[in-house]
Amino acid sequence: MAKKKKILIVDDEEHIRFLYSEELADEGYDVITADSGYQLLEKIENEKPDLIVLDIKMVDYNGLDLLQDIRNKYYDLPVILCTAYDTFKEDMKSIAADHYVIKSFDLTELKNKIATALEAQIPEE
Amino acid sequence: MFAEEINPDQVASADIVVGIPSYNEAASIAYPTNRASEGLIQYFSDKRGVIVNCDNNSTDGTRDVFLDTPTEVPKIYLSTPPGVKGKGNNFRNLFKKVLELGAESVVVVDADLKSITPQWIRHLGEPLDQDFGFVAPLYVRHKYDGTITNSIAYPMTRAVYGRRVRQPIGGDFGFSGRLTEIYQTSTMWTEAISQFGIDVWMTTLAMNNGIPICQAFMGRPKIHKPKDPGADLGPMFRQVVGTIFEMMIAYAPFWRRVKWSKPTAIYGFGLGEVEMPPPVNVDQGKLYQKMIEGFDDKLDLWRQVFTEEVFHKLGEIMTFSQDRFDFPTHLWAKVLYDMAVAYKKQVTGDNDTLVESLIPLYYGKTLAFVKKTEQMSIQQAEEFIENECMVFEETKPYLIERWPV
Repeated sequence: MAKKKKILIVDDEEHIRFLYSEELADEGYDVITADSGYQLLEKIENEKPDLIVLDIKMVDYNGLDLLQDIRNKYYDLPVILCTAYDTFKEDMKSIAADHYVIKSFDLTELKNKIATALEAQIPEE
Repeated sequence: MFAEEINPDQVASADIVVGIPSYNEAASIAYPTNRASEGLIQYFSDKRGVIVNCDNNSTDGTRDVFLDTPTEVPKIYLSTPPGVKGKGNNFRNLFKKVLELGAESVVVVDADLKSITPQWIRHLGEPLDQDFGFVAPLYVRHKYDGTITNSIAYPMTRAVYGRRVRQPIGGDFGFSGRLTEIYQTSTMWTEAISQFGIDVWMTTLAMNNGIPICQAFMGRPKIHKPKDPGADLGPMFRQVVGTIFEMMIAYAPFWRRVKWSKPTAIYGFGLGEVEMPPPVNVDQGKLYQKMIEGFDDKLDLWRQVFTEEVFHKLGEIMTFSQDRFDFPTHLWAKVLYDMAVAYKKQVTGDNDTLVESLIPLYYGKTLAFVKKTEQMSIQQAEEFIENECMVFEETKPYLIERWPV
């Protein structure tokens, strides 16, 4: 049986973490969560997620700065940015993300982007 | 008098090289040379730096201007033999010199750059100390500057090779000594690559050799000599697009296994306020006229190149008036993919003519892009281009199915 893909949800809003966890678990993913960017890199190192869903605007952390840290250390780890506002696109740091979604209670787009990001593949050589 | 190499300071080894390719750039080369020197002193003072002008035996005094520009780092002048021209040939000289010097880091900048700052050297060079092997630039460009990049080079390299490099033919790059060796020993070389195909060749080789790629934010627009997209393209179009198709043939076993695309790391923020680029004016009437003229001229050839579906759809859009003209992205992706297949199969026996037959369609696509983005900001146009790239990726199975194995 194929191993479940592990998704790390990073969001400081509890209801978002709960909603995403429930729905993505129903899709067959193994879901873990973090409520802030605190020691995020350590968490990634320990948990080894296959993909990260990252909130941009957290109270204590800027998701785009965290994205840079993740990308510099984990070159090909898929990251999907989540936000309530689309003004983040004005910040060029956002292009280091695989995809982005505008937060919604309908998670269809998020699920599609997760599937695409997990399917993305570049052969080694 | 011709000189293959002038090395006044007898430089025999270096850690970092800044290369400036040129042909008849006496009026402009002093500026990037001076900025390069400042960049090396400010940001790489712990390294042995050298600036290398790789020239095509210019006749306007470029060599003397370069060597006479006051710099705090040594300079070396190289030239291709008389009669041998082309940016690619200049770079071949540069690669050889870099390996002789044993340099681990190389930054190359265009000789006509007016917007370069010392920080450009830092941003293109520093990631090489952090295990990146290829650094591509990220500029803020006007939405109508770089239309070959926006409609062909970026979507194609992204969809085909799976890596999102926004400026694959930017002209200002950083690369490692290891990648220089790959460039120098590559057997993939054509007349087109020796000319303007060199930039896309360098980027594509980095993508196909497992080299970690980074994009560095330059902070300022690339200010050089931008042109109206409706102006004559010259040989550059054929050389760049021909090289893209040529490399697809060489690297088919790789890209056929690529699914979707992945981003790169980004470097170089915190530069303060970002400068906006100067506007680029577009003559839409000229684009429309050139497209229509080309359509009448190329019909017979296109019938051999495109599938019946694509040919029929092209016929439909050619009936649109200028005011109502549109060129759907999925159709444009299929046009390029069909053209790549035809190039591989050599359906017309003359691949140069084949690539040039794309030009009227490129004008049409550019017109459609200009019309769609007319009211958009630069950032909104960027988002539009990203959506177009997704269409290229979604259409890739069509290319894989049609590609002869």
